[in-house]
Amino acid sequence: MSNVSSSSFGRGSQIILNVYLVIFFAYMFLPLILMVAAGFNEFDTPSVTTWKGFTWKWFGVLAQDDRMWSGLVNSILIAVGVIIVSMPLGLAGAFLITRLQSRYNGLLYGIMVSPLLTPGIILGISTLIFWREGGVSGGLFTAAVAQATYISSYTMLMFMARLKRQDVTLEEAALDLGASHTQVFRRITMPFLKPTILTAAVIAFLQSFENYNTTIFAIGGSHTLVTEIGSRMRFGLSPAVNVIGIIFVFLTITFATIYVIFREREKKRVSALMG
Amino acid sequence: MRGMDIELKDVSIRFGDFTAVYPTNLKVNAGEFFSILGPSGCGKTTILRMVSGFSNPTSGEILIGGQSMAGIGPDKRPTALIFQSLALFPLMTVRENVAFGLEMRGMARGPRNDKAQELLDLVALGDQGEKIPDELSGGQRQRVAIARALAVEPAVLLLDEPLSALDLKLRQHMRSELRDIQRKTGVTFIYITHDQGEALTMSDRIAVMKAGVIEQVGTTDQVYNEPSTAFAATFVGANNMFKGKITKTSKGEAEIETKYGLLRGTNPQNLSTGSEAILFVRPEKTLVLSGKEKAENTIDVTYERRDLEGAFVNLHFQREDNKFTVHQTNVDLKSFDKGDQCTIGFDARAAMILPDGELADE
Ligand SMILES: Nc1ncnc2c1ncn2[C@@H]1O[C@H](COP(=O)(O)OP(=O)(O)OP(=O)(O)O)[C@@H](O)[C@H]1O
Ligand SMILES: [Mg+2]
Repeated sequence: MSNVSSSSFGRGSQIILNVYLVIFFAYMFLPLILMVAAGFNEFDTPSVTTWKGFTWKWFGVLAQDDRMWSGLVNSILIAVGVIIVSMPLGLAGAFLITRLQSRYNGLLYGIMVSPLLTPGIILGISTLIFWREGGVSGGLFTAAVAQATYISSYTMLMFMARLKRQDVTLEEAALDLGASHTQVFRRITMPFLKPTILTAAVIAFLQSFENYNTTIFAIGGSHTLVTEIGSRMRFGLSPAVNVIGIIFVFLTITFATIYVIFREREKKRVSALMG
Repeated sequence: MRGMDIELKDVSIRFGDFTAVYPTNLKVNAGEFFSILGPSGCGKTTILRMVSGFSNPTSGEILIGGQSMAGIGPDKRPTALIFQSLALFPLMTVRENVAFGLEMRGMARGPRNDKAQELLDLVALGDQGEKIPDELSGGQRQRVAIARALAVEPAVLLLDEPLSALDLKLRQHMRSELRDIQRKTGVTFIYITHDQGEALTMSDRIAVMKAGVIEQVGTTDQVYNEPSTAFAATFVGANNMFKGKITKTSKGEAEIETKYGLLRGTNPQNLSTGSEAILFVRPEKTLVLSGKEKAENTIDVTYERRDLEGAFVNLHFQREDNKFTVHQTNVDLKSFDKGDQCTIGFDARAAMILPDGELADE
């Protein structure tokens, strides 16, 4: 590795590159490492400088914390709701824009992606006000609806990218062979979209799960895991929050590894297909 | 015979301001092998897309088997289209591709796989059923597309340059295969190509198309021997050409004043004296004249070179910047050296005088 690099860069730039990498990784991972370490510290505010000894006790404290548990359940419920709303909405939008060559396409596209450019707070507040007029007060439902407004834009962009790559003549060929529009969708379009459906669902879930801005305004008296952590900040943190962080880091690494393995296998399959 | 006839009545189509096909009348007979021949972009694919139901004519009406197709979608028409891009389903095996149309008709797996196997055997791909399209060669993919279209037993098969990606040997093989399939099934074929040789060898009749207009429809012999326009003459087959003005007409013949003197030819369209015209004579009807031989029309030229095509040879001559070709069988060849002064000639009956007009550029 260094052999290859030193031949294309000078020795000086090689050093600069290495220093840069060290700083970069420190910047990325040092806070994470400190957070993880503080989660195992006996001391009852998150810290690594005052080390009172190693402990698992914050895991126990977290396990006893009912509000955290109910927040987790709420977060998952909302995320599932967001997936249910934003997948068909995004798919429909993507179809409209890529398949119907209307002269209003530009306008339509603008409207569909505008929630991405709108501050999350506004989405939350406006959803809350709108539904309150209809007699629905803030809660999990309004939080899910508010989040879905902008997450649908994400899923739509992902479906659009995929649909644009599809050869429209495949759908025409299926029609020509006697397939109805429903059959074409089920046998030709869906199999083609399948990988994107999976990815879009995962992204929608993560976007929903980590959302704070929109949720805090739309959720009324209820709470999610993230809004709960946010509100506790005011009273000072407990290492139990670090434990949540530890769990997430662990889950992220696990899922990322699974995803990479899965994708590599898919890539091998695709390259086998391409010959 | 299960083929159906197709009729285009004043069919035209516009895309915005652009007219892709001007009002066209055309009748293709049931069970006929009909080719549409024309240069790239002249509207061949567009006509097929209207017949199969993917585009609606801006004006006019299309009838298949005497029935108007207005408002009938591609899935309900008795046609099957082989796309220029083939459009095989990449995520399905070859067998699933071929059986797709039957699956859509609700045929059970067993019978439809048997039928697919039958068709794969027909196109000599009997042992390739489990592969996916990307694992096949270009020629094999083309044959899968043909099998897939035949599986639904269409009354009309529309083929959009299906052999264009194949090498010469395979193309010749597939030509006779297609012709066989067409004879055996009696399906009406509308075959699109810009290869005139292909159109001539396979078709019963040909339409020659240029820029959204069908210039001539006729049997292969008619189109080759009696082209009706300068474009049709030059698009189908090679020619020696002489441009000029008609000076005299008499009994189906005319005399044309050209750069190289007065030349006589047939006058199939009864052009009148004074018209701008072009005299066409096919290279195989043009002779190299030695001392004793005579012809009604003669032109002095300089020998350039020859192209040997096995059984045939093309001799190339030049005069100023005009090029002339003589096509001879490879028997009793006269040999020339570059720069030799020769005389070429032809009889009036062998030549055709047509109105001046746009030529097919080659
Ligand atoms: N959907 C469309 N919108 C606008 N113009 C179109 C459309 N479809 C075809 N055209 C135009 O119509 C003309 C004829 O196209 P067509 O595809 O029929 O040509 P073709 O004869 O099949 O040519 P090739 O031999 O290259 O396939 C072209 O100029 C093309 O640009
Ligand atoms: Mg075409």
